[in-house]
Amino acid sequence: MNIGIVGAGQAACTLIAELVRGQFSGKILVFNGESYRPYQRPPLSKSWLHNPTDTELIRLLPEPIETHASIKWIHDHVVSIEPDQGIIATKNYRHTVDHIVLATGTRAKTLAIDGLSPDQVHVIRTLEDAIHLYEALAAAHNIVIIGAGFLAFELASSLDHPERTVRVLAKGIRALPQISVKAADRLLDETPASIRVGVTIERYDQDSASLITNHGPVPADLVIAAIGAEPNTELASACGLGTSEGIPTDALMQTAHPRVSAIGEVSLHAQPHLNEVIRIESISEANDSANTLAKRLLGAPEPFEATPWFWSDQGKLKLQIAGLSARSDDETCLIDTQTERVVIRHKGDHVTAIEAVNAAKEFMAARRLFDQGPISLKALLQAASVFSLLQLSRS
Amino acid sequence: MPQLTCVDPNEQAINVAFKPGETILQATHRAGVDGILAECGGGCSCATCHVILTSDWEGTLDAPSLQEADMLSFAVDLTPQSRLACQVQLNDQHDGLTLAVAKRQY
Repeated sequence: MNIGIVGAGQAACTLIAELVRGQFSGKILVFNGESYRPYQRPPLSKSWLHNPTDTELIRLLPEPIETHASIKWIHDHVVSIEPDQGIIATKNYRHTVDHIVLATGTRAKTLAIDGLSPDQVHVIRTLEDAIHLYEALAAAHNIVIIGAGFLAFELASSLDHPERTVRVLAKGIRALPQISVKAADRLLDETPASIRVGVTIERYDQDSASLITNHGPVPADLVIAAIGAEPNTELASACGLGTSEGIPTDALMQTAHPRVSAIGEVSLHAQPHLNEVIRIESISEANDSANTLAKRLLGAPEPFEATPWFWSDQGKLKLQIAGLSARSDDETCLIDTQTERVVIRHKGDHVTAIEAVNAAKEFMAARRLFDQGPISLKALLQAASVFSLLQLSRS
Repeated sequence: MPQLTCVDPNEQAINVAFKPGETILQATHRAGVDGILAECGGGCSCATCHVILTSDWEGTLDAPSLQEADMLSFAVDLTPQSRLACQVQLNDQHDGLTLAVAKRQY
């Protein structure tokens, strides 16, 4: 069986590595629409900005896997797929495979600002974006980051420099709205950026080099939009397999067409942890969905059952989250010391996520506990730490 | 280039050349050493790059940070010589270092 993988990001590369390690017998065609060999995205907003010369350090696939004889790299954009015939078409060629894997990922949402050309509103998603941003940094003294999420604040920490002022402008009522107020407060205590919430951008004024907002002018010689991502579903939608929300799959990563699978951030499937169909943007989702598909393609299918987890480096602080909460979930602070903060997100007694700031042990214990089954808020508060509850559950 | 020797989970010894300044993870990953999952890509966030130093390198390596020690405490088959490959930075002194990849990463 020959397969064609559209995309070369984290999910695609995990699948490739697992297939090579599992001695997959067919050929693997990989369509990489970017001009770089596969690379890791998370460092682009973190360590890479401090040391951008060495792209070897963020290389995603080991040499022996990248150059394995079963893999053929095609550096071209895919323009369409035809599931019934197993065709993946680029501009000049139609490739035929037995199975198509869509690992098309997401793209940064862009923001049109009157007075700035599109390439003057930076985004950060691809290595090309990061290089473009890095090149613009030398002349930048007043940096404005529009957004309120992890990426906005990771960038604010990474771009901190004595000769720069970094401002974060958020549209909503608070920064880091996807996490608890308590965890967000701890992270924001140490952000080098000044933050303004409830901001609407009206236009950019070239003469004063400022963004004109509902709160007045904000000096800005470099503008970055970190306002989220959207799934690349066009190839799937064109043949009825995708919607603007993502590409629906079953628990084995199979789409509505037996010859097409979807993995990674573009896939939309049931998350057993939540008992809900939801698209998740994270490394854990990319790896876990790719592993699920690899097992199926290698002839030993096992349904997706991973618990999502996340992490974000905010300067010297590390936030790690096990599970996934909704914005409306309640929060209860479990641990609050000078160094650590652990917040429980919950719906009544049902714990949905545990947010750990500089508390790796609590985070790891939470992952293990979620793997064992649901966590009760009452039991957790009685145990006084996630780690103790894990130990109790094992004794 | 200095070199380390890495025993993978299949008991195969692999010589890995490294550049001073890079981490054990970066060097072994480039060489395609089997068994180091490093799900988070080297962010000290997943504890799936567990390696065990097999010779006495104490004194040439910084002790694990609190974050690394906490993550490591969840590693399977933890030993006093256990480290997370993403957190150990190599220099010229480490030419000849030997280590084993933990057989199970979780």
